[in-house]
Amino acid sequence: MLFDCSVMKVEKLKMQKQFLDPRTKLLLAVFWAIGVVAAHRMPTLLVALGLVLAGVLVMGKGKRYLRWLRLVLPMAIFFGAVIWWSVDRNAGFFATLKLLNLTSAFFVFFSTTVPEDLGNALVKIGLPYPISFVLSTSLQFVPIMGRKIKNVLDAQRARGIPLEPGWAALRHYPAFFGPILIQSFQMAEELAEAMETRGFGCPGRTFFKDYRMTVLDWAAICIGILLLVIFIILN
Amino acid sequence: MNSRFFLETEALRYAYRKQDDFWVINDIDLGVRQDEYLLICGPSGSGKSTLCRTFNGLIPHFYGGKIDGDIRVAGKSTLNQSVGDLFMHVGMVFQNPETQLFNHTVTREIAFGLESLGLSQADIHTRIHEVAESIKITDFLQRNPHELSGGEQQLVAIAAILSLHPQILVLDEPYANLDPINVRRVREALRSVLKQGVGVVVCEHRLSLTVADTHRMLVLNNGGIALDGPPDALLNRSLESFGLEPPLSVRVGERLDLTPVPLDIEALKSRVSHQSIPLDLRPDFPVLHSAGAKRILEVEDISFSMDNCSILKNISFALHEGESIAIVGANGAGKTVLLKHLNGLYRPATGNVRIMGKNTRASKVSQLARHIGIAFQNPNSQFFKLNVWDEIATGAEALDCFDAEWLQDLIKLFRLEPLLKRAPFRLSGGEKKRVAFAAALAPKPMILALDEPTAGQDWYFRRALGSLLKELRDRGQAIILVTHDLSFAEQHSHRWLLMAEGRIVKEGTPWNVMSDKTAMEKGHLEPTDAFRLFGYES
Repeated sequence: MLFDCSVMKVEKLKMQKQFLDPRTKLLLAVFWAIGVVAAHRMPTLLVALGLVLAGVLVMGKGKRYLRWLRLVLPMAIFFGAVIWWSVDRNAGFFATLKLLNLTSAFFVFFSTTVPEDLGNALVKIGLPYPISFVLSTSLQFVPIMGRKIKNVLDAQRARGIPLEPGWAALRHYPAFFGPILIQSFQMAEELAEAMETRGFGCPGRTFFKDYRMTVLDWAAICIGILLLVIFIILN
Repeated sequence: MNSRFFLETEALRYAYRKQDDFWVINDIDLGVRQDEYLLICGPSGSGKSTLCRTFNGLIPHFYGGKIDGDIRVAGKSTLNQSVGDLFMHVGMVFQNPETQLFNHTVTREIAFGLESLGLSQADIHTRIHEVAESIKITDFLQRNPHELSGGEQQLVAIAAILSLHPQILVLDEPYANLDPINVRRVREALRSVLKQGVGVVVCEHRLSLTVADTHRMLVLNNGGIALDGPPDALLNRSLESFGLEPPLSVRVGERLDLTPVPLDIEALKSRVSHQSIPLDLRPDFPVLHSAGAKRILEVEDISFSMDNCSILKNISFALHEGESIAIVGANGAGKTVLLKHLNGLYRPATGNVRIMGKNTRASKVSQLARHIGIAFQNPNSQFFKLNVWDEIATGAEALDCFDAEWLQDLIKLFRLEPLLKRAPFRLSGGEKKRVAFAAALAPKPMILALDEPTAGQDWYFRRALGSLLKELRDRGQAIILVTHDLSFAEQHSHRWLLMAEGRIVKEGTPWNVMSDKTAMEKGHLEPTDAFRLFGYES
């Protein structure tokens, strides 16, 4: 087993009090994304990114954000470099900043929303339960897939297949994708079995938690819409 | 059919494919009462897991295939009911807890099935707290199931099913990935479940972990029922031919003509004096002939941290040609992380690891793979070729040290000739492990390291692996076993390194380590049956 630091720490997850309904948070994230896409000036994007980063720090998720940024930053830089090469330098910077802004906003959304809450809340607004379940469970399985990817890399490197990042590894990529694909299918089958044995899809499903839009939610949505409209007009 | 039974099968046969004539289970007549603890055992491929999946309708409704005969739960045929109609009557816990837990917190995990039942929020809350108290998991209700240890995950999976108030609880190899302390926790939980009036059905290879708890044993062989009866009546028959190893207490009890045979060491000790125990039943341990042999691995005071969490602390040891060591300890003790330091997958923060004199800091993983072959616990993490020959050869080819003669030698050693043209990922669990071991040895390393080699494997495999390791040791190969399986480690290693919380807390011969009670407690381990019976003599 790959050593899990949290096992040693025996750190309890604290019950997080959710101030806003997941649907409200999703709408606010979408408003933010529209604003970012509509922005035409570099200072606006820098201020927006600054605001998101301030939010990350206030929520105490700085370390997690840095770990996540290690994955996203190379992608954003690569994306920006392609735009710079095909258009010009300004467009390249713009693209990088927009991508960072968008992904950072959704980082905040996903790190403050319990996947099951998001799924169940979407069911309340008419999304079929199987679809919302797939959405919330996919989020839940991201870290498990991460561990499986690491295990595959370690197992192949341990027998001399060079899968260290770099061009040389490209020749050996079947050694990476083959086991990942096979294990994903196995995992999907085992998960489906486990769901069936706990009554997935039975009619008359109830919910452990209530999802009600409060005055705070409606106020947040109205303020969000208002700010977005003002921003677009001024922009 | 007999109405005393809650679950009954009648002339049950099943094949996974409609066009197949290969019946995975064949002509099974079985009745399970709601107040009994039934152990289903037998060699790999005997049909245990398939039979279990018929109890709650997963077979045939989820798997399809071809089914004959009948199976009834509470008097109604499962063939006419969906899995959704049956899940509240027959609960099922699977072998791999990782993929059967799919919620963000343990509370949500338990709530999932209760939501499917359509219960009110108040009832859901009540049942969650009831089951958490009865299985003793209230402490981690708000934790993420994927952050728990293997044993805790298994307890959560049991709780999630028990909260549905099933009349029968079925568990498929629940101990396969657990360390001894977690095995004990799950065993205690199952005994308590039985007291609450829920029938328990467990599939398991290792009889020593289960027979003392069970009322009845069902031995499957080639898909059919070979033996059925109370454990003390069946255990004095020849079970080796069914891939099962009788517990040591039973073998001693038979020799001393004890009736009924004692099912565990405590029962044996309470009935006979220490002097009357025949010493020739003491297992054979490997003898290290090569005193003064060349030192091939040196680990010098290494420490390692991850995410500000100290995982290895001041680890030092050495390994010599022809020597076999076992790294033992509970889940999360740092064993696998230590193993990954030996071939450079991880580099120590302080200290050094040297293989054949080469410092791992200054060498690439691929260079070190020539000196140490590691086969990790899950062989599926490495298979990608379309046949076994290519799979074994691929590492040696990547390292430019392909030697066809050596590969032929390995294929003979691991008895892989009949499998060479088959796809590795379609083999049985034991066959996959043998392919992975051969692949690790293909670049001719001096050290072979095996991570949990016996997890989920039957006695046939364990015995065959034991002979293979002996043959490798005789050729001068050094072996490192990382395992929870202490009785295997006891019989196939010269020396143990007992790890707890990232440190080696005791090093010595297996019995020397087990005689240190404080170290064993620190490592959350329990002595083997052989040590408990004979060890105090040494």
